[in-house]
Amino acid sequence: MTFLVSIDKFAGPLDLMLHLIKEKELDLFDLDMDILINQYIEFLEAMDQFHLEIAGEYLSELAGLLEYKSRALLPNIKEKFVDEEEDPKEKLVRRLIEYQRFKDISSLLNERFDERNKQLSKALSFEFDDIIQDNDLSELKGNPYDLMKAMNRCLRHLALSQPLQTRNTVTEMTVEQVVEIIKANFGQNHKGFSLSELIEKCYDLDEVIISFLAVLELIKIQQLIYHINDAEEIWLKWSNSYA
Amino acid sequence: MHKEQIKAIIEGLLYVVGEEGITKEQLCAVVDILPLEIDSYIQELKEEYQSDEHGFEIVDYAEVYRFVSKTSIHPYVEKLFKMNKSNSLSSAAIETLAIIAYKEPITRVEIEEIRGVGCDLMLRKLQMRNLIKELGRSDAPGRPILYGVTKEFLDVFKLVSLKELPDLPNYDSLSDSENLFD
Repeated sequence: MTFLVSIDKFAGPLDLMLHLIKEKELDLFDLDMDILINQYIEFLEAMDQFHLEIAGEYLSELAGLLEYKSRALLPNIKEKFVDEEEDPKEKLVRRLIEYQRFKDISSLLNERFDERNKQLSKALSFEFDDIIQDNDLSELKGNPYDLMKAMNRCLRHLALSQPLQTRNTVTEMTVEQVVEIIKANFGQNHKGFSLSELIEKCYDLDEVIISFLAVLELIKIQQLIYHINDAEEIWLKWSNSYA
Repeated sequence: MHKEQIKAIIEGLLYVVGEEGITKEQLCAVVDILPLEIDSYIQELKEEYQSDEHGFEIVDYAEVYRFVSKTSIHPYVEKLFKMNKSNSLSSAAIETLAIIAYKEPITRVEIEEIRGVGCDLMLRKLQMRNLIKELGRSDAPGRPILYGVTKEFLDVFKLVSLKELPDLPNYDSLSDSENLFD
């Protein structure tokens, strides 16, 4: 049989077992351990073949299952189960059921979490920040996690204080277009201009990069001459070939 | 003071405190009325905002009152801000939280017993997100740390208190086995 589900999809060995039980339509209350154990081993082997890392928890459950299986194969030792506090099969079923209960509740909690995320509040009025700061000055205790929490809070406040952009127009410019723009802006300037002057006119990083590429292009086709002065500033001048 | 006046004060205070919210005790102290009295005012305000003509409402998750926008207007909020859904919890995180919420105070080993997976890192992450806290130590050998959920947890899952948690599904009897895997 083929396994289409990767081990990453499971929260742990119990989750995997529940999946296998469901897939094989086994009865959890009258569990066929043989089928479950074989399926479990097959699954881990398949994952191993794909070179997927299998967490230690899966192997530790595997050890328990194998112990159960090998004991069951030896009929004369069977009565040993009776002496133990709890039959390993019963224990496993009990754990699977317990786990399933929390899994079911989790999906319910997840719904509530999503709903809550859609309910937004305004931040506390900024006028109160000063008052709150004054009060808090005396007690500067806490662990690193508190500091991280506080920092997260600050970042959140900062993000809130900046007007959010509701529209974001991305315009992609080609080097050729930028060459034209540079010529239009600095073409008349026969004394030359510095690279930082050009960069200052850019709105964002993309534009800086493309402007720099345009300058390199102009130097390559020998329309621009560059010079680096003592202050390590790059000066650009139109060459004589450019009219 | 008139009833309408008191309601107006509560409404104004709720507006000012924003996401921080305000507790019933704080409201009583500021408005200078008794906790028993304030309940009816808050309830009336809540009901007024509940009506469809309002875009936000009053909630009291973790027993803190605050204004929140209604979920029904959220599609428009998303349109306005191009929201990216960064705020999420993994299923493993919610699972761990569920176990802690129902079983608190609980030790790490007890959680791991139910989940069948090591939880050390997960507990730290949840602690960092302020969703769980340490409740002291158990008397068991090694005096392991006991964990419980925080007020933040209640808020994040729309709960006024832990009593509001839905009952855990009961699969103890055979008759329920059919709907176990719906």
